[in-house]
Amino acid sequence: MTIVSGKAEARRTLQSARSDVLRKMWEHRADYAYVLPAIAVMLIVIAYPIYYTIELSFFNTPPGLQLRDKIFVGLNNYTAILTSGVFWQVTFNTLIWTVASTFFSFVLGFAAALALHRDFIGRGVLRAILIIPWVISAVAASYIWKWIYHSDFGIIGAVLVELGWAERPPNFIDSVSTVLPSLIVVNIWREFPFAMIMMTAGLQTVPEPLLRAAKVDGANAWQRFWHVTFPHLRNVSTVTILLLAVANFNSFIIPWIMTGGGPSNASHIWITHIYELAFGRQRWGVASAYSVLLFIILMTLGYFYVRALSGNERKDGGA
Amino acid sequence: MRRITVGGAVLRGAVSTALTISLMSASALAAPPVDLSKWSPEYVRSIAGTQDFDTAGDCAKVTPLDYKGRLTFWYQGVFEGDPDLLRQYYKDFFATFRKTYPNIQLEEQALTYNDLLDKFRTALLGNAAPMAVRLQILGGTEFASKGYLQPLKPEDVGYSTEDFWPGAMKAVTWDGVTYGIPTNNETMAFIWNADIFKRAGLDPNKPPATWDDVVKYSKQIHDKLGIAGYGLVARKNAGNTPYRFMPQLWAYGGGVFDEATANPTYKDIELNSAQSKAALQASYDMYVRDKSVPVSALTNQQADNQPLFLAGQLGMMISHPSDYNVMLDLQKKATGTDKDKAQTVIDNMRYGLIPTGPDGKRAVVFGGSNIHILKPEYVEGGKVDEPAAKAIICMWTSPEWSLKMAYAGSNPGNLNGFKTKWMKERLDSIKFLDVTTSMLPYGIPFPALPQSPEIMNIIVPDMLQNALTGAMTVDQAADDAAKKVKDLMGGGL
Repeated sequence: MTIVSGKAEARRTLQSARSDVLRKMWEHRADYAYVLPAIAVMLIVIAYPIYYTIELSFFNTPPGLQLRDKIFVGLNNYTAILTSGVFWQVTFNTLIWTVASTFFSFVLGFAAALALHRDFIGRGVLRAILIIPWVISAVAASYIWKWIYHSDFGIIGAVLVELGWAERPPNFIDSVSTVLPSLIVVNIWREFPFAMIMMTAGLQTVPEPLLRAAKVDGANAWQRFWHVTFPHLRNVSTVTILLLAVANFNSFIIPWIMTGGGPSNASHIWITHIYELAFGRQRWGVASAYSVLLFIILMTLGYFYVRALSGNERKDGGA
Repeated sequence: MRRITVGGAVLRGAVSTALTISLMSASALAAPPVDLSKWSPEYVRSIAGTQDFDTAGDCAKVTPLDYKGRLTFWYQGVFEGDPDLLRQYYKDFFATFRKTYPNIQLEEQALTYNDLLDKFRTALLGNAAPMAVRLQILGGTEFASKGYLQPLKPEDVGYSTEDFWPGAMKAVTWDGVTYGIPTNNETMAFIWNADIFKRAGLDPNKPPATWDDVVKYSKQIHDKLGIAGYGLVARKNAGNTPYRFMPQLWAYGGGVFDEATANPTYKDIELNSAQSKAALQASYDMYVRDKSVPVSALTNQQADNQPLFLAGQLGMMISHPSDYNVMLDLQKKATGTDKDKAQTVIDNMRYGLIPTGPDGKRAVVFGGSNIHILKPEYVEGGKVDEPAAKAIICMWTSPEWSLKMAYAGSNPGNLNGFKTKWMKERLDSIKFLDVTTSMLPYGIPFPALPQSPEIMNIIVPDMLQNALTGAMTVDQAADDAAKKVKDLMGGGL
């Protein structure tokens, strides 16, 4: 008797909740209609490609066959990737690339933001100059840096030889040991202005009275930074770092144009490797499996990004 | 100044003999418009300007000149390393086509050698390909084997199969069916700076006879003058790399398969044979042991070697006859003392035959491009305007335009082009042209396989990079490349 009435109660609650949801949806029907085109577009340009990429990751696509003649191989592509030496080399490169680029871009950008937060003559001009690397085309920048680094007649090498500091121009991008750090430097140069802009915006939200109060209380510059400024920048820092990390995981232009992933795969990162597998070697299946793995990693990063954003919103709402 | 320093009766005799033997061995010698058995620089000069052709009249028989239609067309066009002269001929061609066929709405798109395959493959996946395409010689079989191309032979546009080089026709044939028409065919030659040779203590009028000599000369130039000896190119995903390394590989007796033999079967992989390894070792010796080639060879293309050569910082390289015109173009842009320095280099620029291997074997890539028509189901809109496509193909592969579009860097795909007045004009204006045409009988086509683009653009450059960076030993790099080819041919992942 008790069990029966409990079930009936649960059913009534569920029905009530459902009708409540439906009622609310009906009340907001105009809102749904407004976002419907956007959702439809997203389904076409995002959801379907994701589905198709996942499907393709279970097929072999030999270069002598059309894509429609693909051969089902189950998880073989994933097995092939995980047991391949190139995968681990490329993964290692990607981690070094992402971590180093993100860390140094953020640190440099933060330092530049702090420096430019002070009021001094020429601050606006300096800020504009520092933003240049971020606003110029990545393709153009890559070609310029390729020439700057050129192992035979690059400007850095020429200056070093001219000054007598080196007998031969240094080998920046034609050596397996120096190519990745050299490309990371270019990437940091391109990205630190983004971090600078984000942190500049963050710095403007730090309450001035708090800083003044800390100063009155005898806190030195470092203590004011560490105990007042930095805690206020925690969320914007998290968002900046996550955005940089996602962008770096997805990098393509700089390594592809400057070295094509070479020499000897030393500067191949995931995206360039996926591109070469798909478009150069027509291994659409393997490339798709790589993409699925990358998607999982990026979704994980995206989750933390959304959480960081939600944290910001909750905090803002609470204040 | 001597025009061809390697010239002379002995050389010409040898070239003529080799040409005769090579071309006579070709099966498709039914009735070519020129007598290939007599082929020599002198013969080419003797036939130049002996026949007139009416391009519009010939093409009107294929597609009436008042035909109304629409054509989408992609082609491998000029790029940064080409001379201005060629750019002008490309402009002229499309202007003439529009004038000849005023009712055909032409939507053409030029792509560079290195971009075309990627873009074309992507377009095909989305059934968004153009109606007609001009591809590098390497690409034809890949797309024919996949069923993307319509059968198309020279007879379909008013010419005869015998009007084209037999080797070029092989590259457009898959499973016994012809899927395209060659537009141009070329072989490169060996270029050196006589002044650098002299200053390095080498005979300025004598190019290296063998690839082992190239290694020695490169070292001598570097050791004596502190500049790069030979313009090695080992960039990945760049057509320049196989065009420069394969002649070396074949000369040493190696190969990817047996493509250097008269009747290749492409069954056995030869990339890790002792001969192939010897060729790779020669590159290793220049790059790693002697450090006598540009350090930037791993990221360089030929376009990067050109300014180096013009600046007098490079002693030897392999390239087209058009490089002479490129040097002239670059020299015009130089200023001050650089202009004079560049002129000195141009005055000392020499062309010769590509060196032989240790056994006297000489080889060069038989390069070029082909033109194709797509099947309607892979074309945007699902329709192909065949008469419009045949009109442009007829015009491009005509004696007149197949010569003009190959004016500075190649040769006409249509052998009748050698008889035109423009060939005569070209022989007088394009320096060293007869040296590169003399290399034609040594030309070896890339394997006519769908896997060739990956082998030539990725696996072979990877092998070079693995050996030259020390990531692998020469033996390991060759074995690794051979394994990759084996996996690829086996349909592996």
